[in-house]
Amino acid sequence: MADKYLVQPDIDFINKVRANGGESLKKCFQCATCSVACPIAPDRKPFPRKEMIAASWGLKDKLLCSPDIWLCHNCGDCSTLCPRGAKPGDVMASLRMMAINEYATPKSVANAVNDRKKLPLLIALPAIVFIVLGLILKMLGINWLNFSPERIHGEIAHAQFFSTWLVDLVFIPLSIWAVAVFALGLKRFIADMHKNAVAEGKTDKETIDVKGFLSALVRVIPQILKHNKFSECSENNDRATPHMMVLFSFIGLLIVTGVFFITLYVFGIHGPYSQLNPIKILANISGIALIIGAALLIRQRMNKPDEVSTYKDWYLLWLVLGLGVTGMLAELTRLADAAFLTYLIYFIHLMLVFHLIAFLPFSKLAHLVYRTVAMAYNEYSGREAKKA
Amino acid sequence: MSEAQGAPFSGSIMVVGGGISGLTTALEAAEVGYEVFIVEKNPYLGGRVAQLKQYFPKLCPPTCGLEINFRRIKDNPRIKFFTLADVEKVSGSPGNYNVSIKLNPRYVNENCTCCGACAEACQTEISNEFNFGMDKTRGAFLPHEMAFPSRYVISPQILGTEDAKRCKEACGYDAVDLDMQPKTLDLNVGAIVWATGWEPYDASKIDNLGFGQYPNIITNMMLERLAAANGPTKGQILRPSDSQAPKSVAFVQCAGSRDENHLPYCSYICCMASLKHATYIREQYPDAKVYIFYIDMRAPGYRYEKFYEKIKTDENVEFIKGKVAAVEDAGSGQVTVVAEDAVNGEKIHQTVDMVVLATGMQPTAANAKLPAADMNYTDDGFIINDLDKGGMFATGCANRPADVMMSNQNATGIALKAIQTMMKR
Repeated sequence: MADKYLVQPDIDFINKVRANGGESLKKCFQCATCSVACPIAPDRKPFPRKEMIAASWGLKDKLLCSPDIWLCHNCGDCSTLCPRGAKPGDVMASLRMMAINEYATPKSVANAVNDRKKLPLLIALPAIVFIVLGLILKMLGINWLNFSPERIHGEIAHAQFFSTWLVDLVFIPLSIWAVAVFALGLKRFIADMHKNAVAEGKTDKETIDVKGFLSALVRVIPQILKHNKFSECSENNDRATPHMMVLFSFIGLLIVTGVFFITLYVFGIHGPYSQLNPIKILANISGIALIIGAALLIRQRMNKPDEVSTYKDWYLLWLVLGLGVTGMLAELTRLADAAFLTYLIYFIHLMLVFHLIAFLPFSKLAHLVYRTVAMAYNEYSGREAKKA
Repeated sequence: MSEAQGAPFSGSIMVVGGGISGLTTALEAAEVGYEVFIVEKNPYLGGRVAQLKQYFPKLCPPTCGLEINFRRIKDNPRIKFFTLADVEKVSGSPGNYNVSIKLNPRYVNENCTCCGACAEACQTEISNEFNFGMDKTRGAFLPHEMAFPSRYVISPQILGTEDAKRCKEACGYDAVDLDMQPKTLDLNVGAIVWATGWEPYDASKIDNLGFGQYPNIITNMMLERLAAANGPTKGQILRPSDSQAPKSVAFVQCAGSRDENHLPYCSYICCMASLKHATYIREQYPDAKVYIFYIDMRAPGYRYEKFYEKIKTDENVEFIKGKVAAVEDAGSGQVTVVAEDAVNGEKIHQTVDMVVLATGMQPTAANAKLPAADMNYTDDGFIINDLDKGGMFATGCANRPADVMMSNQNATGIALKAIQTMMKR
C-alpha cells in the first residue's frame, strides 16, 4: 500500500450498503474478531474486517471488484461473535448484491429486478411477451398458442396449448441474452478483481494466464459441488444441505431440459414421457428436491430474525420455490386430467422460468457465476498457499 | 479536629463494602466527626485491592496503603466494622434508614492470636477463594497474611466434623467457639453508601477464548495472585499445567469487555493492568516474550500514557492491534492464539506458554440484587446516583468501572454527599 492514501468517501455508496441490508455497518470498531471467527478467511489479507472499514469509508472501488466478498458464504459466524452487533455477514451480503448490480448491464434492468415496486411489472412482462407473440403468430396463421388444445391419444399434453416452438422461440434468445450479459460483466469483473488483488498484495501473479485460471476453475468446481466451504461454517451449518439440494436439482433439471431438447429437435420425439423413463425419474426427483430445498431455505431465513433478509433474498427464494411447486403441480394436474388447471399452472411455470433466465445476471442467483469465478481466481492467485 | 457547626453527631452513615472505596468513604466521614458502620461480607477488609501485587502506575504494593487505612480505622472510635456480614433489609427514607444486618459466625473470637494451631490441627482442605481456587487452605484459616482483622476463620464446611473439634482442642487461647450463631443487628442510620465493588467477569462464559478448557489460559486477577508474594506460588509466575516458568505470555485485551455479548462497556482498568502485568513477567523472566493483543490501548491521562510509553520501549513486549477471537491447543501445554493484525491485514497464529485473559469488571450488584428497593441501575448493574434525592449513594466500582485512584476520589466526594444528606435533615 502506498504511504499516502487520500480517502475519498463515496457517501452515496455508504448509504446504499446500509440500505441493502448492511444497516449496522457503522457500529464496527475494527477489533478484527470477524476475520478470525470466519472459518474460511485466508491468513493473508483475511476478510471481513478490511471490508468493514472500506465500506465505512465508502471505498466502492476497493470493494465491488474484490474476490473476497464472494469467498464469503454468509454463514454468520462473524456476526455471532461480533462484539458490536455490526453484523459483518450482512454487510458482505449487501456488498455482493451491489457487485451484481455494478457488473450487470443494462442498469435499468438491474435496478428493476432489485426494486420491490417493479415486481408487478416484471411479473406482467413474460405474460405479455408470450401472449402477444402467440397472438401475432396466430394472425400469421401459426397456431403455437392454442386456447382449445387437443389431446394426444386422450392425454393432456402441455405442448398442445403452448407449443414448444413458442417456448423455445422466447427462451433460446433469452438464454443467449443471459450469457451475453454475464460475459460482459465477467470481462470487467475479472480484470478489476486481478487489479485489486495485485494492489492489495493478495496474489503473486502478475497477469491472468487463461490456462492456469481454467485449471483453477476445474479444481474449484468439485469443492463447490461438495459444499466444502459451506460445511466449515458453524453458525449456519444447517443451510448447506438444502442449498445443495437446490443446486443439484437445478443441475438435474438442466440435464432433463437438455435431453428433452435434443430428443425433440434431433429425434423428433415429443413429450410427455412415461413416468418410468429414467429422464422423467430424474426430473421428478429434481423437482421434489427443489421444493424441499427451497422451502427449508425459506424457513431457515424466517427463523433467523437476527440476520437481515432483503427483498433480493426473498425474490430468489420464492422464485425457486415457485418454480418447483408449479413444475410439479403442472405434472400432477396433467396426470389428474384437470385440463384447465394444468394449462394455467403450466403457464405460470413458464412465466417463472422466464424470470429465472432473463433476470439471472441481475438477481441474487448471479452469485452462481460470480462466486464460482471469484473462487477460481482465489485458487489461481496462490493466496491460500502462502501461509504465515 | 474542631467540630463543625450544625452539630455533626445527628446521624450515622452506613458503608456497605469494606474495599478501597468503602474504607475511604468511611474514613473521610469518620474523620470529620461522623459515626460510621462498615458492613463487609468477607472475613477481612480491603476487598479486591488486597488481592493485588502492585498498583499501577507506581508499582507499589497495595498492602502499604491498606495498612495506613487499617491504622486509621483502629485509631478512630467512630468507625465500627462488621465482617462476614450481609445487609438483609433496608427501610426508611433519606436521613432515617433502618437496616438489618446479618452477622455470620466466624467461630473464632477476639482471643485469637493468629498462632495457627487450629489450622495445623485441621485435616480438611478447602478451595482458597482468595486465590481464585488455585490452591487450598485448611478448614481453619487466615484469609491471607495481611488480613485485617487479623483473626482466623473456621469454614462452615468443617462444622460438626471431627476436624472442628480438633481445631477447638488445638487452640490454646480458648478462641475457637463452635457454638457461635448468626445474629441479626438493626441499625438506624442517616445515609447509606453502597461500595459493593466488582467481580471479575466469569471468563468461562467467553466460549471462544478457552478459559476452563485449557489450564494455561488464566485471567488477569489470577495472574495477580500468582505474582503476589502471598499468593499460591509465593510470587513465582508459573503456568498452572506443569508449574513451569512461561517463556512467552499472550495477553488478550477486552476479554468480555466492550462486547455486547458479554459486558458492553469498557472496564477501564484492564489495559493498564496488562501493562503492569508485563512488568511482572519481564522482571521475573528477563528473556520471556510478552504479546499484548488489543483493540485500542487505553492509558488515560498523563501518568498512564507515560507508563504505556515506557512499556512500549521494551523490545520483548509486542503490541498487536487485533482482538484474539480463537485459541487452539498447541500441544505440551502450549496454546496458540489467533488474531488478525489490523495494521497489516495478516492473520497471526501466536503460540505461547501461557495466555492471560484481561477480563473486565462486573458490578457485584449485577449478579446479586441489593436489598435496597428504591435505587436505579444501569442495564449492566451499575448503581445510578440520584444526588438530588440523596440518602443512598454508590461509590467506586458499584457506580462505574474505575481504578483505585478514581475510586478514592469518588469515595471522598460521596462521603461529603452522605454528610450533606444528614445536614439537610
